[in-house]
Amino acid sequence: MGPRLIGVLRSLADNWLGRGEATVTVPSFDGALKPNQQLESAQTVANFDAAEDLASDGENVYVADGPVVRVIEGIGAREIRRFDRQISALCCLPGGGLAVALAGREVRVFGAASVAQGSVAFPDAGMNSVNALSAGPGGILVATDGSRAQTSERWAHDLMEKGKTGRLLSLDPATRRVREIVNGLAYAFGACAAGGEILVSESWRHRVLAVSDDGRKRVALDNLPAYPSRLSPAATGGFWLTCFVARTQLVEFVLRENAYRGRMMKEIAPEFWIAPRLRSGASFEEPMQGAHIKTMGVIKPWAPPRSYGLVIRLNAKGTPVHSLHSRVDGVNHGVVSAVEAGGALYVLAKGPGRLLRLPLAGLEAEMVR
Amino acid sequence: MSDNILELRKATKLYSEVPAIDGVDFELRRGEIHALVGENGAGKSTLTKVMAGVVTLSSGSMLIDGRPVAPRSPLEARHLGVAMVFQENSLVPTMTVAQNLFLGQERFYNRLRGIYIAAQQFLQSLNFDVTPTATVGMLGAAKKQMVEIARAVLHQAKIIIFDEPTASLTPEEKKYFFDLVRDLKRRGVSIVFISHALEEALLLADRITVLRDGKHVVTDDAAKFDRARIVQAMVGRDLSNTLYGARKARVRPPGARALTVQNLKMAPIVKNNSLSVFAGQITGVFGLVGAGRTETFKIVAGVLKRDFVHGGEIFLGARPVRFRVPASAVRAGVAYVTEDRKVEGFFETMSIARNIYLGLLAKFPRGRFLTSRTEADRTGESWISQLKVRAIGKGVKVVELSGGNQQKVVIAKSLAQEPSLIIFDEPTRGVDVGAIVEIHDLINRLADEGKAVVVISSYLPEILAISDRILVCRQGKVVEEFSALDATEEKIMYAAIH
Repeated sequence: MGPRLIGVLRSLADNWLGRGEATVTVPSFDGALKPNQQLESAQTVANFDAAEDLASDGENVYVADGPVVRVIEGIGAREIRRFDRQISALCCLPGGGLAVALAGREVRVFGAASVAQGSVAFPDAGMNSVNALSAGPGGILVATDGSRAQTSERWAHDLMEKGKTGRLLSLDPATRRVREIVNGLAYAFGACAAGGEILVSESWRHRVLAVSDDGRKRVALDNLPAYPSRLSPAATGGFWLTCFVARTQLVEFVLRENAYRGRMMKEIAPEFWIAPRLRSGASFEEPMQGAHIKTMGVIKPWAPPRSYGLVIRLNAKGTPVHSLHSRVDGVNHGVVSAVEAGGALYVLAKGPGRLLRLPLAGLEAEMVR
Repeated sequence: MSDNILELRKATKLYSEVPAIDGVDFELRRGEIHALVGENGAGKSTLTKVMAGVVTLSSGSMLIDGRPVAPRSPLEARHLGVAMVFQENSLVPTMTVAQNLFLGQERFYNRLRGIYIAAQQFLQSLNFDVTPTATVGMLGAAKKQMVEIARAVLHQAKIIIFDEPTASLTPEEKKYFFDLVRDLKRRGVSIVFISHALEEALLLADRITVLRDGKHVVTDDAAKFDRARIVQAMVGRDLSNTLYGARKARVRPPGARALTVQNLKMAPIVKNNSLSVFAGQITGVFGLVGAGRTETFKIVAGVLKRDFVHGGEIFLGARPVRFRVPASAVRAGVAYVTEDRKVEGFFETMSIARNIYLGLLAKFPRGRFLTSRTEADRTGESWISQLKVRAIGKGVKVVELSGGNQQKVVIAKSLAQEPSLIIFDEPTRGVDVGAIVEIHDLINRLADEGKAVVVISSYLPEILAISDRILVCRQGKVVEEFSALDATEEKIMYAAIH
C-alpha cells in the first residue's frame, strides 16, 4: 500500500508540476539531427497514389503502391505483381525472394520478385497491422505488428489511445511458424537485423530497441525528437532510420490530457485532431501550430511542425551520424521508408506520395564532415 | 593655451617597490579619442587610475591645462573635470539607476520623484534605454555600463576615461557606444579608453598608445597602425596569426550526447530552450546580451533555478537531473567557469593555492572534516605549472594577479574537480592576447581528451576560431546551429538578430 500510495502522490505532483511522466518536453533537432533541406531538394523519381513501403535487392527498387508491387525503371515504375488487398509492408530477401504483408493480416513470401505463385503464406489470425518486414538471421523473416488494437491506417488512433500492443514477430518460411519475440511495444514500426540482434522502432516511446532472439530488450537509441519508423541496412555499415512525423509539445500536452483527448476523438474528425499527420496544410480547419504562424508572410522553418520529413543515418552502434530533413516549409513529409540501391538512397515520402532519390556519394561526404 | 588637456611626465607608480608604471610620458590632446592598449599587467589601468585620482603617483607629475595637479581622490579628479568609467562598475547595486546617477550631488532636500524625472530626461537625451527606477543590481552588464557612462556625462567631465568599456556590450550596443563617444568628442570632451579589442582601437581612436610591462612603447596616429603592428608592440612578438587562431579546416565529430536540455524555462529570460552538447567537441554558444545563454547554462550548473512548474528537463547523458545548488552539479561532473570572475570566480584575498583547493573541496558530498595545507599547496603548485599561471608563488593573493592569470586560477579551480562537462562563460573577457592563446589551447586540449566543452562568447572571432559547432541564441532559446565549417560572422549575426 505504501509504495502504491507514494506512486499515486508522485503522479499527482508530477501532473501538477509538469515533471516525470507528465513533462511536455521535446528534444531538439541538433547535432547529427541538425535540420537541413536535403530531402526537400532531392530528385523526385515518381509519384504514387497509395505508396506504402519500399524494398531493395541492392540494384532494383520495389514500391508497394496500394495492392500493386512496382519496380522502378529510370524515372518510371512498372507493375510486377498485383494483389487483392492493400500491401502494408514489403521486403526483398537474400537469394532474390520477396515478402509482402497484405492488409496487415497476412504475410506471403515469394521465391522471386516476379514469380506469380506465392511460395509460403503466413495467415496468422493474431496479425492485425503488420507494417514492416525484414530478412532476419538464419533465414527467418522478422515482422513488426504495429498494434493489435488498430490497423495500420489508424495509427493516429493508436497514438491517441496510447496503444502498447505492438509486437515483433519471427516468421520461419521453413516451418511456416510465427513466433512472438516481444510484445507490449508502444507501436512497433520497423525492424532490421543487426548482428545477432534485431533493431525495432518503438514509435510512441520515440526509441529504437535492440532485441535478442530470446526477447531480451535493450535501448539502442532513445529520446528521439520524432516518431521512428522503418529501418534498412546501409552498404557501408550502419542503418537508415526513417521518422514519419516529428514530436511537438502541443501533441505531448494533448497526450497527457486524457479527458480532452477523449472528447476530441469522439467529437472531431481525425484529420482535424491535434495529432501528427503525414501531410499538412490542406485545410484551414487543421489545428494551428507554430508552423502555421507566418511571420512577414514566411513560415519559419524551425517552427514546430504538424508534419515533417526525416531520415536518420545511424552508425553500426545505432548512434545518429547524419540526417536528411524536409522542414515545416517543405512538402516531402511523412517519410516511411528509405533503402539503398544502385549507389543512391531512395526515400518514400508518403505525405505527398513521392519517391525521392539522393546520390549516396554526396551523403557520405556530408557524414565525413 | 596648450594643445594638451592632460599630460603625465615620467609617471611612476610603485606597489611594494614593484613599478606598475615606470617613467611613462603621456599626452592627451583636446577633443581627441586616445586608445591605451597593452597586455594585462602592462600598466594601463594604473595609468588611468592615476589620472582619475584613484591612486597617486610615486614620482613624476601630472598636468591639466598646463597646471600641475595631484588629485588624491576620484572626487578631486572630478572637480578637475576628470571622470572614469571603471571596468568593474562602481555603482551601488541596491540603489536605483536615478539614485546612482545623482549620487554625491544630493541636495539638502531630495525629492525622489524629481530625481527620477531628471534622470529620465537625461537618459532619454542620451538615447539610453534604461529605466531610472530600476534597481542597479537587477540590470545586466550592458545596462550597468550605460549607467556608468551616463553618470560620467552628467558630471560634465572634460576628460572621460573608459576602462574596457565594450567588454560586456553586444555588437549593436558597441556601435551605439562608438557613436556616443564620437558625440562626446564633438562636444569637446577628451576620451581615453582601454580596450583589448584592437579593432575598436583602430576604428575609434585618433591616437593609440601602447604600453608594455609598465613602460611606454609607442604613441602614434591610429591611421599609422595596423593590427599586426599593435600586437607586435604589445607583446614584443608576432601573435597576429595565432590570436584566436585561423578558422578550423576540420571539426571534431560529436561523441556521446553529454547534455540534453529540453524546453527549459526561467521566466522571463530563458524561454523554452532546447539544446544538446556532445562529448569530445567544443560547442560555441553565441547570442546578444539578454539572449539567455548564460542563464541557461547557469541553470544546468545549479547556479540558477528553472521555473518550478513546467520548467523543462535537463539530462546528463541519459539521466534526468535538476541541480538545486552548484555543489550537486560539481559532484555530477559539471563545471561552470563564470563570466564574472571578480564576483563569482574566486576569493580575491585568498591565495592562488587555496582558491584552487576550494574548487577541489566542492567535489566532496559533505565537505571535508579536515583540510590539508600540504594538499592545498600541492594542488595549487600542480595547477599553477599546468596552466602556466604567472605569479611569484602559490601563496600570492589572486587580487594581485593580472586578469589573464586570474582567469587561469578560476579555470584551474573548476578543472581540479575533474568535470566531464565544462562550461566556459566568456573565457577570455578582459584577458590579454598572450593569455587568450593559452586559454584557447587549454580548451582545445580538454575537448581532445573527450570532455564535453561549452564556450559562451560574445566575441564572434573567438566563437568561430574555437568552436566545432555553434549554437546561436535569441530571445531565450537556441534558434540556429552551425557547423564551424559553414558558419560566417554574417550568418551567425543574422541568426542572432532575426
